[in-house]
Amino acid sequence: MSDFLFELGIEEVPVSEIKNIMDQLKSKFISKLKEIPVEFKSIETASTNRRFMIYFSNIKEKADDTEEQVKGPSRAIAYDKDNQPTIALKKFIEANKIKQEDLFEIKTPKGLYIAFERKTEGEKTKDILSVMIPAILKEITFNKTMVWNSSRVPFVRPIKNLLALIDGQIIEFEFAGIKASNLTRGHSLLSENFIKVHSFKDYCEVLYKNFVIISEDERKKKIVDEIVEVEEEFNVHVRPDTKMLEDYIYNNEYPVLFSGQFDKEYLELPSEIISTFMINEKKLLPVLNKENKLINMFIGISNIPDENKHVVRGNERVIKATFEDAKFFWDNDRNDDFFALKDSLKNVMFHQGLGNFYEKTDRLNTLIEQLVKDTGNNELLEPLKEAAKICKNDLVTRMVREFPSLQGIMGGLYIKETGKQKEIWDAVYWHYEPKGFSDKKMESLGGALLSLADKIDNICGFLYKGIKLSSSKDPYGIRRDAAAIIKTLKDFKLDFDLFKIIEIGIKQFQDNYPESSDLSYNEIQKKTQHLFTSRIENVFKEYLHVRYDIVNSVMNRKEELPIYRIYLRAREISKILSTDNLKHLISLHKRLKNIIKDCDKCEVTAENLVEKEEKLLFEIFNQTKDRIESMIEKKEYTNACSEILEMKPVIDNFFEKVMVMAKEKELKDNRIALLQNLDKILSKIADFSLIVE
Amino acid sequence: MSLQNIILKLQEYWADNGCYIASGYDNEVGAGTMTPDTFFRVLGKKPWRVAYWQPSRRPDDGRYAENPNRVQKHNQFQVILKPIPRNGQTLYLRSLQYLGIDIRSHDIKFDEDNWASPSLGAWGVGWQVMCDGLEISQFTYFQQAGGIDLNPNSLEITYGVERLAAFLDVKRSIYDLEWGGQATYADLRTEEEKQFSIYNFEFADVEFLRNVYLQYKKEAHRLVEANLYLPAFDYVLKCSHAFNILDARKAVSVAERNTFMANMRELAGIIAKQYINHTEDRGEE
Repeated sequence: MSDFLFELGIEEVPVSEIKNIMDQLKSKFISKLKEIPVEFKSIETASTNRRFMIYFSNIKEKADDTEEQVKGPSRAIAYDKDNQPTIALKKFIEANKIKQEDLFEIKTPKGLYIAFERKTEGEKTKDILSVMIPAILKEITFNKTMVWNSSRVPFVRPIKNLLALIDGQIIEFEFAGIKASNLTRGHSLLSENFIKVHSFKDYCEVLYKNFVIISEDERKKKIVDEIVEVEEEFNVHVRPDTKMLEDYIYNNEYPVLFSGQFDKEYLELPSEIISTFMINEKKLLPVLNKENKLINMFIGISNIPDENKHVVRGNERVIKATFEDAKFFWDNDRNDDFFALKDSLKNVMFHQGLGNFYEKTDRLNTLIEQLVKDTGNNELLEPLKEAAKICKNDLVTRMVREFPSLQGIMGGLYIKETGKQKEIWDAVYWHYEPKGFSDKKMESLGGALLSLADKIDNICGFLYKGIKLSSSKDPYGIRRDAAAIIKTLKDFKLDFDLFKIIEIGIKQFQDNYPESSDLSYNEIQKKTQHLFTSRIENVFKEYLHVRYDIVNSVMNRKEELPIYRIYLRAREISKILSTDNLKHLISLHKRLKNIIKDCDKCEVTAENLVEKEEKLLFEIFNQTKDRIESMIEKKEYTNACSEILEMKPVIDNFFEKVMVMAKEKELKDNRIALLQNLDKILSKIADFSLIVE
Repeated sequence: MSLQNIILKLQEYWADNGCYIASGYDNEVGAGTMTPDTFFRVLGKKPWRVAYWQPSRRPDDGRYAENPNRVQKHNQFQVILKPIPRNGQTLYLRSLQYLGIDIRSHDIKFDEDNWASPSLGAWGVGWQVMCDGLEISQFTYFQQAGGIDLNPNSLEITYGVERLAAFLDVKRSIYDLEWGGQATYADLRTEEEKQFSIYNFEFADVEFLRNVYLQYKKEAHRLVEANLYLPAFDYVLKCSHAFNILDARKAVSVAERNTFMANMRELAGIIAKQYINHTEDRGEE
């Protein structure tokens, strides 16, 4: 067994690309080695922004030997009548460099043939890798590539070294003008020049000595431990931030925490601004006291030990200048009349062919009115109409032009400054939330409604414009918008048919921008339907862990989209999974569907009921139907199911005693109609026949 | 170290590394990248190494002399290395050491920041170099200029001179910096920053600027018709500066911005092509 070490040394790769590159390298090595095959036992990988390491500790020295049967001429051609080899056979022997005694005869459908067993010795792993590695490097894809030398090979950043060792020997190859070697490099600042390594053990030691902690887990642990230390020392709380942690782990080969302070006067800025400027601009994390209030302290991660306090002093100066900038924007924006900014929205395009943001707020006004009505929140009508009018004004403020991620938040804060009532600024503040299905529930109902209006308008507009979605492409984030809508409806228990409001949304674009689309209303409607059904399937499965078949069973009605009800039905059915009740419902519904599947719609005529079992079923059904329907209307799905199951003995009796497919058409149609009624009421809850037991 | 010493030291260091030390361009530019010594010379095959000090104007960055770090006219030190040397990052770190920065005790990071100038049809891939949280340089591998793929590619290093000086001098504000001789940054620059901030944000005549923008654009087109790509480029720079003031005045809508950018990009593309054709004709490749 051999051991194989590969390191791609590279100039600082963007953090967003690192995982993607490591995954590709790993899976390509594995699949290519398996394909040949070269056996191996274990594989280890590690990455930073400056290197990608891959290590096979137990890899075979060579590929497996192979044997194959090579067919020669037929027996008749190979030997003459004296049983001597013919010229044809001699040539075959010569060409394959074999001896006559290697030959044997095989039976084929065409008769006897001459053949021999060719044994090929597996190629040396070292030789295989010298071809495989450059091929893998060539195959890796990146979000953005560059060229830097005369090889003109596109890659994510310039390559510095290609360390490739098998049992201490260099695997020779060249890629992008760089020759493979036994060289690595240490820390970008604390180590100079290339360093020779001979083995994996050597490699790890060399890196360690040269201030590179190669293991992601170790770096993460160091950072997290040091954060906890600071929290305990100062009795504070560092606001967790997954994205920043990721950045710290990969951008620092030798991470060291530092903590510093800033002037208290900047705490007068809204905390949203302080956090945004710290994190987005300076990659520093805000610190909170035990009351969860921001204090004048920050932490950051340096790539070197800060023995002389240079790093923390430098960052303290920088954060001051950054807050000065924030203050400049905040003060300047507040000097403007926020409401007067509305006119400038005419200059801000929403989307080519879909008007500007001024026009968008007009559309939001209509949508919000309908949403307030649909959800029965009439007391919010006036404040939300006002919020809709001004919710986009912050797009032309300095702060949001500089930090688009503060949109909505800044609008809310600026409106609050003017002394408007909470319902207005609060709705504007929250109306871009939620950003994803796993976000926390937002706190504002007004924000939720305005967010719905905004996102419905986005979806209608972009689908109207004919924007195409593919598995990887969603240029305007309307899938995310749809998921956010589903989340909001669920979180706030907003129970209404989404299609009605989408209809208004689409019509607004059709009326105002007739030239911008050649899609018919029905086509757009179908696209929205598809968007939402696929999103519901996706988020129910991924975040609510609802089984696929159950999602399918509750989405069976195409003419409306009561998302909250769909959610409740899925949830209720998931609760009774693997109970007898559900089993009965499934088998009942399957049986019904089976019988009525090709039948036209029929009506029950009481005079045509002849058997006592069908009379009884008709009677019981009529007695309970209203009750069941009102339960369904009240979203008491579990009770409705129980109520239906109450009829089970009667239904069973009916199936046992009554011949549905009677010869007489009137009798048959009547019985079909009875079953259709049952199907209809079951389907209001779910198509149970789609559920897999 | 005084601000002028930084410039002198950088000139010395890069001269030792084979650069021609040029003067800054005598036209308002937003960045060192926008001068002919960069824009034209990164095109074509001919190797090129240049370093120069370029005062650069960013009207929107004015802060009425009240921000410790931000000004509407700042000083860049620009280096172009073509083709890209193998040890570009090392050369850069050594220049910091040459300025007296102990790179073993400062957190110097290459932080993803891909540079693009939509108005010049130019972009590159690279980083902003952060030193203890302060952005002190841009480090860019040029990929395109004037919409033309570059071959060979160039490395552009742009130092923010004020940032470096404030860092080296441990000053809380760039206005506290020594410029050199007896002059401080405050002496030389405060009034200018105040007046230009007022002009850029409040006083600039929008109609007038729109008007001259159109005139400059027209002139640039007339000049490229005559194959006079060098003066034509000057007028693109003038367009760009007029646009930047309009932008600072919040007088440009998003749709309009796209039009402005497209105008300038188109001109820059024509000019770049004329330059290449011309140098090829002269057999310079």
